[in-house]
This record gives sequence, structure tokens and C-alpha cells, in this order.
Amino acid sequence: MSSEECDSDMEYSDDDCCYADYYNTGDDCDIDHIDPSKIDPEFFIFECLSVEEVERLLNENVELLSSSLQITPSLAKVLLHNHGWAVQDLISKYRSDASLLLVQSRIKPPHPPSKTDGSSSHSSQSSLSSKDSLEDDENQKLCPVCVMLCSVDVFSSLACGHKFCKDCWTMHFEVQIIQGISTGMSCMAQQCNILAPEDFVLTLLNKPALRDKYQQFVFHDYVKSHPQLRFCPGPNCQVVIHAKELKAKRAVCTNCKTSFCFKCGMDYHAPTDCSTIKKWLTKCADDSETANYISAHTKDCPRCHICIEKNGGCNHMQCYSCKHEFCWMCLGDWKAHGSEYYECSRYKENPNIAHESVHAQAREALKKYLHYYERWENHSKSLKLEEQTLLTIKTRINQKVMNASGTWIDWQYLLDAAMLLAKCRYSLQYTYPYAYYMEPSSRKELFEYQQAQLEAEIENLSWKVERAETTDRGDLENQMDIAEKRRTTLLKDFLEV
Amino acid sequence: MANIAAQRIKREFKEVIKSEEVAKCAIKVELVSDSYTELKGEIAGPPDTPYEGGNFVLEIKVPETYPFNPPKVRFLTKIWHPNISSVTGAICLDILKDQWAAAMTLRTVLLSLQALLSAAEPDDPQDAVVAKQYKDAPEMFRLTARHWTAAYAGGPYSNPDFDSKIRRLTDMGIESHDARVALSSFNWDLERATEQLFS
Repeated sequence: MSSEECDSDMEYSDDDCCYADYYNTGDDCDIDHIDPSKIDPEFFIFECLSVEEVERLLNENVELLSSSLQITPSLAKVLLHNHGWAVQDLISKYRSDASLLLVQSRIKPPHPPSKTDGSSSHSSQSSLSSKDSLEDDENQKLCPVCVMLCSVDVFSSLACGHKFCKDCWTMHFEVQIIQGISTGMSCMAQQCNILAPEDFVLTLLNKPALRDKYQQFVFHDYVKSHPQLRFCPGPNCQVVIHAKELKAKRAVCTNCKTSFCFKCGMDYHAPTDCSTIKKWLTKCADDSETANYISAHTKDCPRCHICIEKNGGCNHMQCYSCKHEFCWMCLGDWKAHGSEYYECSRYKENPNIAHESVHAQAREALKKYLHYYERWENHSKSLKLEEQTLLTIKTRINQKVMNASGTWIDWQYLLDAAMLLAKCRYSLQYTYPYAYYMEPSSRKELFEYQQAQLEAEIENLSWKVERAETTDRGDLENQMDIAEKRRTTLLKDFLEV
Repeated sequence: MANIAAQRIKREFKEVIKSEEVAKCAIKVELVSDSYTELKGEIAGPPDTPYEGGNFVLEIKVPETYPFNPPKVRFLTKIWHPNISSVTGAICLDILKDQWAAAMTLRTVLLSLQALLSAAEPDDPQDAVVAKQYKDAPEMFRLTARHWTAAYAGGPYSNPDFDSKIRRLTDMGIESHDARVALSSFNWDLERATEQLFS
């Protein structure tokens, strides 16, 4: 499923489709040639795969590599896991210097093992085996781990030649798997880091439960090392998302509907980038106590001072008592917000701050942070409140349809409006961390101008959605179009991927 | 499993006792219980280090899964070292964690610990206070570590200046170990150590 399809569900109502079809029947060749990422900055192609599908995808890579290099599939897996599953890259590296590649991938030892005796050749430290090698005879040999004499046929080794008995290998793997280690399991010799490939492990591992666990862990490691794959971060969700490009774009799981950033796996955060949002969220978690104290849930009406609890998402407030219209964020008169002087979203830095005392600078830094944090937090709360509005809309539509005033399709536009509102407000929320970390510049001014424009249109939309039954449908759809256009314009100019 | 562990330890015990290092009095192991699950190790402070002349006692606990998991080792003798906790004696050493290999033995562990005493790794610290001193005031660190060796591990070098500062604090009713820790942490600044102890 691509995000294109997903978006179209949201933005166009069914009756629009007729028009769309009508216009597209002629020649849609033009449309096909336009790069969709140019029109929609959030365009992203991805697919949701089941575990079986991922296994098939990984196995295709394994087979390709093992057949072109004439190596076992297990070794191919070790190579792929260590090189981010870049098959072509591996083939060319192997062709230019196979030995170097195998050494770097911890498959081959840097120095060839001595022919005589693998384990005791490293006896500089492990005198256990060397001293006892006197006890060795033709058919029996001392295992340096369990220090027992075992028949020579039960010994095996990796490419490094360090020989240990079968029981010790098995025990070694069991202990490691119980600790959650799988692809990282290596030889038991001191200072030897040669990795144990899958086939070697599986021939020695005989408990079915541990074999399952091992295969599960290995699969997990493979997906994590693959740049095109990411586990869905949804709770208990088995889906793996596959996308050709590792970009910070929105992916939505078809199974659990979790929406997240494909690159970092966190909540989607355009226009802010992955590292900035991480910094911001950490900062918010650290400072949340101060900020919580300051951003209370209620505010007083700036005119009549009656206490107002905000119970809707819209920041355009009208006092129930005195009918004064004001902005919830800055408590200023709403009239000023409607015009192009809307500046509530912009933080005005103190121009003389460099000359002030350290104390004043700290206070200014806190003030700046609180400005952005309050807006971030406020839009997040608005999003939640607007979810309730959506539910109310759904019940109202139901009632209307039951009372035979219009069909379900007739009222569909209200749902679309509410969905679009959520989408726009979500983007708006994530513009605040972006602005917080921007250096004062003309670019920042442009950003804050566009942000202010978007915010103003979103509040208009929210106002109209909350009063949807008294709003003219044409007016509402117009507002939807304006808000979405503002959103895409901002993302086009500032979303860097 | 426990069978392998016991078998290995018995063997290693003999190995250490016979080794050339024991002959040179550099390392030593003793049994604490008959079950071979707990041992006492001892290493000599390496020459040309602040630990020279000291004897450091180690607690060695052998897990059920030995030798597939490393033995649990900590210093029983108090020691001033960036990779060893001055409070608990816990050790930060890769081979006692993820770099452990089943073919390693008690002897290799003891020798590695001795090597750690000669070459600390302040970038991977166990004790942040000590590590900071090691990097910022190396001479102060050397003197402090040598003083601790003398105080706890039987080292030969006493430091009259440090001793008198400790006495000043013990006269005020502070335990001598607490006084030593506070003074060591504040580069032997008596005033700051006192402040911390009485705050």
C-alpha cells in the first residue's frame, strides 16, 4: 500500500471521484509522468510485509549471493548481516579481495590456523590444554573447555581451527541464546572473534525450544540490519515495513494502523528531522515539570476574567459569559489573528540578550523554551480534543441519516473535514520543535510566517468544523482546501529528506 | 552443567598453584568452600605502579554456567583505580563481561587484572571520581593510589601529609575510611572534604 492511496481515502469524498474519473478518462499520460514526490512532499512508497514475506525477501538475497559467490547460504547470511544486505556491493568486494572481506566479516581468521592442533596452537595463555596434550592419544583428545578426554570425532571447529567438543559447543550456544545473543555468537577460544554461522549452530543445537528461539532472534537481527526493513513499532505487531528508500517519511501499518517515521521509528514528525525531534522530546521529558506547572488546563477570560476550561480543539475562543472572542494561546483579541498580523506562533527574541546577565539569559532561555513547549503541548491537546469532536460528528451523522435528512454520502464531507483538520494540526504541532532549534535568520522568519499562516487557517477550519451544522458546506470545503495548501506549502519549503 | 564448572575449576586451581606466577608470588588462589563455587584470589601490585608492594585480595564467584559465562570477580581490598569501584570493589573489564571466552581460565583472569592495574582505561570508568582525577590531576592520582595501597594492601610508602590530614578529620569523630574517601575525592583539600562530610 502506498501513502498515495492512503491519502486519497482521506481527502476526497466519494462523489469527488466521479469528477476525477471524468477528467482522467481522456489522456492520463501527462499525470503519470509527473513525479508525485514533486507535488506531495510527503509522498512515500512502502509496503507492509508479513514474517513469511520478509523471509522470502531475505532468502532471495541470500540465494543470489551464495550462488554468485559459490559460498554456503549460511556464510552468505553472515556477510549480508554485516554489510547491510548490500548484495552487489558484497559481490564486488568479494571479487576484488575475497580474503580481506572474509576476515573483516569475522568469517576467516586473519592468520591461517596451524595444521597440527587448532586449540593448543594458541597455548600462549591456555596452558590447560598444552600441558595435558601428553594425555592425548590417537583417538582421544582433551577439550580445553570441559577438560575431559573425548573421542576425536566429537570435536569440531570454525574456520579458525579452534577445536572443542560437541557438548561444549552446544552448551556455549545454549547459554548465549538464553541471553538473547544469536548472530553475534562466536568461537570459544580466547581473543578469537570468528562468528558461528547458522548451519554450524543448528547442527549442534538440539533442544527444539532453543532452536526456535535462535531462529527468531536471528530473524530479528536480520530485519534490524536491513536498511529497507523496519519492524512496525505498534505493540505486539508482527508486521515489517519495507521501503526502497531510508527516508524520514510517514509509514502506516496496515495491520495495527500505527503511523510512524520510517527512518527513526518514532511518531511521524515532519517538518522536523529525526535528530531534532529526538533532542526536543528528551528536552521536554527533562523539563516537563516546570512546563506542566506553567501550562495549566484553565485560563481566565481576558475581558471578564471568568475561568474557562478548554473543551474543544479550536484555539479561537469565545467566552460563554461575555462573548469576547480571543486566542487561547496568547489571550489576545481574535480579530488581530484573522488578519496577516497573526503573530501568536512567533517567538520574539530579546535583541539585547547578549549584554544581559547570565541569570537574565537563563530566564530568557526558559521563556523561549516555554513559548515553544506551550504551543507544542497545546496542539497536542487540541488533537486529542478534536478526536472527540470527530466522534460527536459521527453520532450526529448517524442520527441525521436515521431521521432521513440526507444520506450517509451527503454528510461524508464533515468526516473528511475532521480528518483533514487532524492531519493539519499534527503537522502544525511538529513545526514547533523545528522552529525552536532554528537560528534567527531570514529563513526562520519565512518559516514562522508560513507557520503563522497555517495556524490561522487551521483555527478557522477548527472553528468551522465545531460549528459544522451551521456552516455552509462550500465554505467549509473552501477552508479545507486553504488549510491543506498552507500545510503542503510549508512542507515543500522546509521538509528536508 | 555444574559438573563441568566444578571439573574445570578443580583443574584450573591446580594449574594456578603450579604456575610460574605463583612461584614469583604474583598471583594466588585459595578455596573458600569445598564446592568450588567460591574462591579467593590474590594479586601483587605490579612494579612501577602506585600499587607496587601491595597485595590485593579478590572475591571470585563461579556461576553454574561456568566456563560459558565469566566468573564474578570483585576486589575485597580497597583500591583507588579508575576501573574499580572504590566503594564496592566492582571491576569494569571487558573479559569479565562480553569479551569472555569459554577457553579463558582463572589464571588468565588474574593476569588480566594485574595488567589492568598497570594500564588503567579512564575512558571506560567504573569509578567516575577516580577517573576524573586520573585524567585531570595525574600526580594527585598517583599519590592517592599509593596512599590507598599503603593503607589497605600493605604497601610500603606512607605519606605524612595525607596521614596528618586524615588525623585532623578522625579527631573530629570521622571514621578514618570515610575521611580518606572524602579527602581523596577532593584532591586532599581539607576544607572541601570537611564541608562535604559535615553537610
